[in-house]
Amino acid sequence: MGTIGTFDSFTAARLGIYAAQHGLRVTGNNISNINTSGYTRQRINQVSLKTGGHDMYYSQLDNHVGNGALVKSINQIRDPYLDIRYRNSASDVGYTDTMVSGLKDIAAILDEVGKGENDEKLGDGMLYAQLQGLADALRALSADPNKDNDTLVRTSADALVGLFNTYADKLQTLHDNAVHNFEQDVTTVNEILTNIRNLNDSIQESEIHGDGALELRDERNRQIDALSEYMHINVVYTMVDIGAGRQVEKLTISLGNSNPDPSITTDSSVLIDGNYATQLSIIQVPKPNPNFKEGDDPATQYLNNDGQPCGADDPNVAMINNSNFDMALSKLYDSKGREWKDISTIWQEAVNGVVGMTARYETTIESSENWEKDMELEIGGQIYKIGTDIGVSAANDPKQLASFIASKLNEGNADYKVFSEGNKLVFLAKKAGAIGGQGPANAPTLTFTPGAGGTITFGNGNNPTPQEVREGVDEVAPTLPNPNPTTDKDGNKVEVSNVLQDGKWYQATTITKYSKEVELHDNDLYGSLQATRELLTEKGEFSTQDDVDLDPNATSKRGIPYYQKSLDLLARQFATQYNKLNQSGFMFNQNGNYIDADYKELQLAGSPISKTDGLTEAQKQALIADGCVLEDGTPDLNRWLGANNAKVPEGMGVLFSNRGDGDDPTNITAANISISQSWTTGDVKIVPTFQVLIGADGKPVSNSTQNENANHMVTMIGESLDYDPKLLDDDAVGKKLFTGSFNDMFSNMMTVEGNDERKTTIKLNSYYGQLIEIDTSRDGVSGVDLNDEAMNMMQYQKAYSAACRLMTAIDEAIDRLINNTGIAGR
Amino acid sequence: MIRATTGGVLRSYRTNLMNSFISQNKARETVLTQRTFNSYAEDPAAAAKAFRLRKSRMAVESQGKICDDTYKKFSTAWSCLDSVDKLLDTDNGEALNTLKGMTQELLNDPTGDARVQLTKAFDQVSQTIVQTMNQKYGDNFIFAGADGHNVPFEVKDNKLYYRGISVDAAEPKLYDNNGAQVTLNAAGEVDPAGTNILLSSAKTISKADYDQAVANHQNDPTSDPPPELLLDTTGAPALFTDADGNDYYILKDSAETMTQPEIDKATADAALLKHLANEKYFVDIGLGFQENENGNLIESSGFNAALNGLTFLGYGVDKDGDPKNIYSLVQKMREIAESVPESGQWSDDVYEEFRGLVLKLEDASSNFKTEYTNMDAGTTKLKNNYALLEDNFDNLVEQYSALEDVDMVDAITSFIWAQYCYNAALKVGNSILSESLMDYLS
Repeated sequence: MGTIGTFDSFTAARLGIYAAQHGLRVTGNNISNINTSGYTRQRINQVSLKTGGHDMYYSQLDNHVGNGALVKSINQIRDPYLDIRYRNSASDVGYTDTMVSGLKDIAAILDEVGKGENDEKLGDGMLYAQLQGLADALRALSADPNKDNDTLVRTSADALVGLFNTYADKLQTLHDNAVHNFEQDVTTVNEILTNIRNLNDSIQESEIHGDGALELRDERNRQIDALSEYMHINVVYTMVDIGAGRQVEKLTISLGNSNPDPSITTDSSVLIDGNYATQLSIIQVPKPNPNFKEGDDPATQYLNNDGQPCGADDPNVAMINNSNFDMALSKLYDSKGREWKDISTIWQEAVNGVVGMTARYETTIESSENWEKDMELEIGGQIYKIGTDIGVSAANDPKQLASFIASKLNEGNADYKVFSEGNKLVFLAKKAGAIGGQGPANAPTLTFTPGAGGTITFGNGNNPTPQEVREGVDEVAPTLPNPNPTTDKDGNKVEVSNVLQDGKWYQATTITKYSKEVELHDNDLYGSLQATRELLTEKGEFSTQDDVDLDPNATSKRGIPYYQKSLDLLARQFATQYNKLNQSGFMFNQNGNYIDADYKELQLAGSPISKTDGLTEAQKQALIADGCVLEDGTPDLNRWLGANNAKVPEGMGVLFSNRGDGDDPTNITAANISISQSWTTGDVKIVPTFQVLIGADGKPVSNSTQNENANHMVTMIGESLDYDPKLLDDDAVGKKLFTGSFNDMFSNMMTVEGNDERKTTIKLNSYYGQLIEIDTSRDGVSGVDLNDEAMNMMQYQKAYSAACRLMTAIDEAIDRLINNTGIAGR
Repeated sequence: MIRATTGGVLRSYRTNLMNSFISQNKARETVLTQRTFNSYAEDPAAAAKAFRLRKSRMAVESQGKICDDTYKKFSTAWSCLDSVDKLLDTDNGEALNTLKGMTQELLNDPTGDARVQLTKAFDQVSQTIVQTMNQKYGDNFIFAGADGHNVPFEVKDNKLYYRGISVDAAEPKLYDNNGAQVTLNAAGEVDPAGTNILLSSAKTISKADYDQAVANHQNDPTSDPPPELLLDTTGAPALFTDADGNDYYILKDSAETMTQPEIDKATADAALLKHLANEKYFVDIGLGFQENENGNLIESSGFNAALNGLTFLGYGVDKDGDPKNIYSLVQKMREIAESVPESGQWSDDVYEEFRGLVLKLEDASSNFKTEYTNMDAGTTKLKNNYALLEDNFDNLVEQYSALEDVDMVDAITSFIWAQYCYNAALKVGNSILSESLMDYLS
């Protein structure tokens, strides 16, 4: 029979009370935190206590009873797989939500559905309707080309360019706001990374002191969840030894490998490594000087903080975000600013007393051995001539001679090398083999023939006798690399040292790894940060070859710049076409022939030049012979007409310019398109016709309401034109955007936006549904449920009561034993 | 779900309640805006199509304005031409107020006073016709072709000019001497070095006839003397030979000449008149208005809004050298009528010449009526086109309305249903938050 301690049973009751009370406390904590964001429900880890085995020599009976319950720990109930799914899904939602939000902002500016008004009902649009308003004014001008109608067209065109300017301005404001938001997001991400690092510090410290730090873990999970919306991440928990047999958990967060190109590894860079964290930043570049042109002084390429031109290396150069909004990760630092490093040492015992080298043979080139021209040098059976294969002076320089021998020797066998030490030539054989008088196996023979019979031989020749040096033994330290320490190709510091222990040499190679700054490019991120970045940078069909090199899908990704450039392209096409109709052209008479300033018909190749019938073959040849050809080699009649004083109509000129106080029609964009100054002042007017009627006296006969050019302008509104990105930007590599009228092009811009928004919204709804589902599932595991807790409460309450009852029962029993036992007959 | 927790259920409820509220809000927005979509993103294809239809409607509206304006111009022109017509023909106007009626009266050989009065009235009617043809519609002269800002007809020295060019301008016909010109010098002699070129109006007499006339006169000095002939530089009659080898002379009285610059000017004027008579300018009234690949308007896709006064009143001269223009004819007739002494009677030659011009005036009037009828056809085309544009307008509005406008029954039903769902969701929320096991602990 096992021993029974008198008060042992009290212990069981006491532990039961303790366990139940713990249970009630945990239940209470769970109930209290039911509305705490990120809280993970806790439960006690209770085990049965049994202290047995110590009385095996006292009693051979196996009738040991347990000693009650112990609360071993308090745990969180969490499913790591659900966390991974949640965070993957959160980056999906973060990306699509931000993208949809950005596209909606673009649509709020450009989408004209339901905007504008007419007599019937709302919805003709603004810019869309104004293009037709201009067509209306042009029709009126065509029907009666008078000054009032010219003013009407100008007023209508002014309203149109005003809308172009407004939309461009709003898009630019949207872009500026997005930049601001992006910078704020970067700041927020950095705060989250710092928070996680600091929480890791706290959690580790708590763990060292035996506390599970459950609440800190909840907060850390909340921060990780928040981070996962900004970027796709991988979260890994490992245990690390902190000494004294203790291990603590280490959290590592790295980027989630978002780049589809497997050769790119920056998308897996480490963000958090235990107590170390990186910081995100937008790569800053010097602010370019807008007036700098190729060929100018490089010292004026950028602007300094005072707005003055300066060079890239000027300490005062102003720094701005790079145009591609590429980002960089800093090195990893802990909360005290110490850089992350990983030190590992590889120990290598000197085998047979030699580290790296099997044998060393030395010989000396005496200064008296004067190598002269045409003397021969045999290396590995190959004869080289002094003065032919190696210069005489080089042959007499031990360093150069060694280098020559080494180069010839190593062509055949990398196991050997030759170098010089002072005036000695040293031969090292790495290959294991016989050491001693015979030299290493397979060692090549080097024979010098400096003069009559004089030879110097390494290896098998034994003349002079090679001197063997046994490294690593005989108290000769192994050779250290030179230089030492070195930096390997990954930037790690490699240092080799020798250690002599018990008569043996050991070589220790210590590799110190440092974290690196990492540049993140087009596809390295995914999540809301990347969505904002794409909204800020993606140009779609306007992408350049550089963009495509960075991201092969660049031409199909469209952010704010795409819509800005599309609007610019529309404005430029519009201005170009109308300027062309009013800026370039020559007058022709009633016979359809071009005339000169004196109203006489111009002659080319002996005949009039007909506008209506086109050029004759002879005229084409004459133009080519005159050098009047276009880039494609076809005849350029306009150049010829311009050079030959062809008549131009009064008031002809630029209608649209790149600023209102000038007539410059180049580089027109939606932001700068303006009515030209000359049209505003009346120096230029719409040319209704290029036809002039010439009377018998050679003077013009009025045709004040002729309108063929005004009709060109009317038809131009509905003309189908190609919208090629190259019209705006020579470097663009995308295909043409669209072919159609001005109205159709504008509508197409919004169709593209609408389709993108619709597609992304469908994705968002799907991702959001998944996220909610996963979050609910996660809550199913980790969330507090009142029914559950009520049950626990009742359970622990009953257990508590029972333990107390047990204590009472034991107390009564022992009381019987102590106070009422053994007093027979009393 | 392995475990339904209070928080999980609440979160799920919250999400679903939000979805329900969003649905209700969307249904409400549909009812309020009465539109099936409120952005391209909601239905990109429908939005693009609706805008295309709206663009067509806006174009139709604009083309309708031009069509209406052109129609009004043509209507005004029609009124003008109608009043001119009433001055030309007895069919429409009062006989004695019309040119036709007056010429008939003149042909009836009236007394001198009546002839004078009729001639004056005759002149005034022709002036009235010109004034009518100078009418304006708005700020533009109706019959000025493509020069609406300037008055088209102008009378100077009893000659009518259209846009500065005499309406009687014609390419001179030169006398054909077996393919060669005949030139006269300043003395009126046939001279190859002369600069006056003989016109085709010159009359000839065969050498045989002339010789006979000379012989007759010699035999009978009371008979008509032989006609005066063109002489050459030697003072002898200039003898010509036709293609058949017959000799002939040219009668001096019929020999009219022009210098080369005069011929060039007349030729250029005639060519320009022809151009002006056919001058066109096109407006967009919704017939397609398209250009061909050379950038020239396809004429059938526009409407020629030019009304050229010349084509109505006539221009140039006929084979007899008489003007085709109504005004010029009237002036010529007036001159003839005025040449008859007030107390005298028509001579047979004058009467015949006048009668010939009357017939030519009738031809010119007939031409006027033809052009008038053509213009009337244009007016009808404009009227019909306007009606078509109105139909087109209604049709387009209907088409995009069908795309954009909601069926209010559907919209309201959807809204009521969404509201019902939302209310139901709220009620469910009450029950979710109501009780748990906690409420049953005693």
